[in-house]
Amino acid sequence: MLKVKNITKSFKSGDTIVNAVADVTFEVPDGKFASIIGKSGSGKSTLLSLLGALDKPTSGSIEVGKEDITKLHDRKLDKYRGEKIGFVFQGYNLVPNLSALENVMLPMEFIGKGKKEQQERAEKLLTEVGLDGAKQHRKPGRLSGGEQQRVAIARALANKPTLILADEPTGNLDSQTGKMIFDLLHQLAKKENTTIIAVTHDLSIAGKTDITFKLDDGKIIK
Amino acid sequence: MGVISRGFRNAFRNVVRTVSIVVILGLSIGLSLAMLVAYQAVSTKISAVKGNVGNTVSISPAGMRGFEGGGDPLTQASLDKVAKLANVSSVNGVVSDRLTTSNSTLVSSIDAGSLGRRNSNNSGETFAPPAGGEGRPSDTGTQTTRSFTPPVTLVGTNKPTDLSSTQGGGTFKLTSGKVFDSGSTENVAIVGSNLATKNNLKVGSTFTAYSTTVSVMGIFDAGNAFSNNQVIMPLATVQTLSSQVGQFTSATATVNSISNVDSVTTATTTALGTTADVTNAAAQAQTAIAPLENIQKISMYSLFGAVGAGAVIILLTMVMIVRERRREIGVLKAIGASNIRVVLQFAVESVTFTLLASVVGIGLGIAAANPITSMLVTSSATDTGGPGRGMGGGFGQLRGALTSVQGVVDWKIVFYGLGVALIIAVIGSVLASFFITKIRPAEVMRAE
Repeated sequence: MLKVKNITKSFKSGDTIVNAVADVTFEVPDGKFASIIGKSGSGKSTLLSLLGALDKPTSGSIEVGKEDITKLHDRKLDKYRGEKIGFVFQGYNLVPNLSALENVMLPMEFIGKGKKEQQERAEKLLTEVGLDGAKQHRKPGRLSGGEQQRVAIARALANKPTLILADEPTGNLDSQTGKMIFDLLHQLAKKENTTIIAVTHDLSIAGKTDITFKLDDGKIIK
Repeated sequence: MGVISRGFRNAFRNVVRTVSIVVILGLSIGLSLAMLVAYQAVSTKISAVKGNVGNTVSISPAGMRGFEGGGDPLTQASLDKVAKLANVSSVNGVVSDRLTTSNSTLVSSIDAGSLGRRNSNNSGETFAPPAGGEGRPSDTGTQTTRSFTPPVTLVGTNKPTDLSSTQGGGTFKLTSGKVFDSGSTENVAIVGSNLATKNNLKVGSTFTAYSTTVSVMGIFDAGNAFSNNQVIMPLATVQTLSSQVGQFTSATATVNSISNVDSVTTATTTALGTTADVTNAAAQAQTAIAPLENIQKISMYSLFGAVGAGAVIILLTMVMIVRERRREIGVLKAIGASNIRVVLQFAVESVTFTLLASVVGIGLGIAAANPITSMLVTSSATDTGGPGRGMGGGFGQLRGALTSVQGVVDWKIVFYGLGVALIIAVIGSVLASFFITKIRPAEVMRAE
């Protein structure tokens, strides 16, 4: 269970304080697919970065399982992100000089898994997302946008995370490929019993998720 | 793939940039190495010169130089006092005398010339010229002409090959025969090459001095006419034959380092009081090595400059790379990489650049070390008039030795080079690491 309680994130802009996320509270049960929708500047990505422990809230708590991640120190946060969170970004964010296989192995290396185990899991995940054989050894520059996002999904699933956070995962893809990627993410998350929270503009995609939150001026309005 | 192999591979992500960095950094490391070689070569030379040249103190009886002036000879007791002084390595006492046709069968190889005749006339000695013969002083006393043959200089010493304590100086080179042993009391001599030629002397020949037959043991060439007209005999033999037992006409104290020459000169003056004149040539020797000391400073400053430039190059490069890869660093941190791991990856990249550059730099350094050292030494010699230029005697001969400085690139230097490269890499990584730790993983969201 993901429990978000009264989360606020403020930034100072000149003399004024801007609340990018203001007193947000919600819960997402394990294994559910939630979407966050809202217009640009509504605080979607900021909320996602707080949920992913990429940034610290000004106030409030975020419990993943029974652990309040807002109270963790930086070193523990690295471990937490590596073991419990998987990220899928709009721009894929793969390391350009590593092959698809090496990109998927990377999170496993960070939590200290053996090389053989890394390779076997990475190959399995890439096969599941539809990248077989030679494509697994290609660098991101030689893969299409859809293929790169498949690699990113495989990377996000590498350490069997509790929570996958996806920031506009289909934003850079055409609608057909976007739909395929969304279905793939949904299907794999269900298979691995992983909770997914995706930020999206696409209402057709949001309509297919288990829960939808609408964010406006940093507040959940629906 | 581990963090080390990833850092190594990252160094080749942009081949053009990598080659540029390696070449520029290689030049910097090469220059550092060349300057280090030059510094060491010049330092070694300076140490050698300080240990061997100009580290003597000359002691003469008060009021006497060579055969000029007067006063009482030095005694063995005086020399013993000097030998006991701090920093004095050894003391060599010498007895000099003149052999003329009245006490020897030897004929000088030096023609009197106008200088000889003038010196003879101005010597102040009284003599009875042959009646009406050539050489009678004129009545006016303004001009005299008389027959004069320069005497042969006889040196009694226990260091026959050390010509620095003789008036002629020069570098001893035995051309035939052999040299008598130190402490010998035999009636033997080694003679200058010109004197030997003039008197048809060969090894085994004999001549008469002080009514005693002396055997020629060897013939030497000192490189100048005055010394090549000398006879060198054992100290004890000359003291006995010339009735100067226990006496010395000059002495030379050898000091352990040129830097102690002044203090030994002062101590000797104090020890011998008014009985001796004590001088040294440290100032001239110092002047001779001054250009080398300048080169030493130049090479040291250049070394620091080149190392600093290398460090700045790699530092700016790494900072640029980190700034360029902010997003990637954010991604790595977002998916679980710790700061240490990311810093280590960039440090490996920095070390890879530097090691590649050090290979280039060591090659360049080895190739350029000697030409740069020679250029610095030659340039300095030309600019300053050259070490030893314009100095007479032994210091004039220093010039060749001081300008022949050879840089040696040994394994120690190569290891120094690698050490310098690693220092550069570490310095270069420091600021980059600082920036890395400041990048928050949330950067990856802001970059979207």
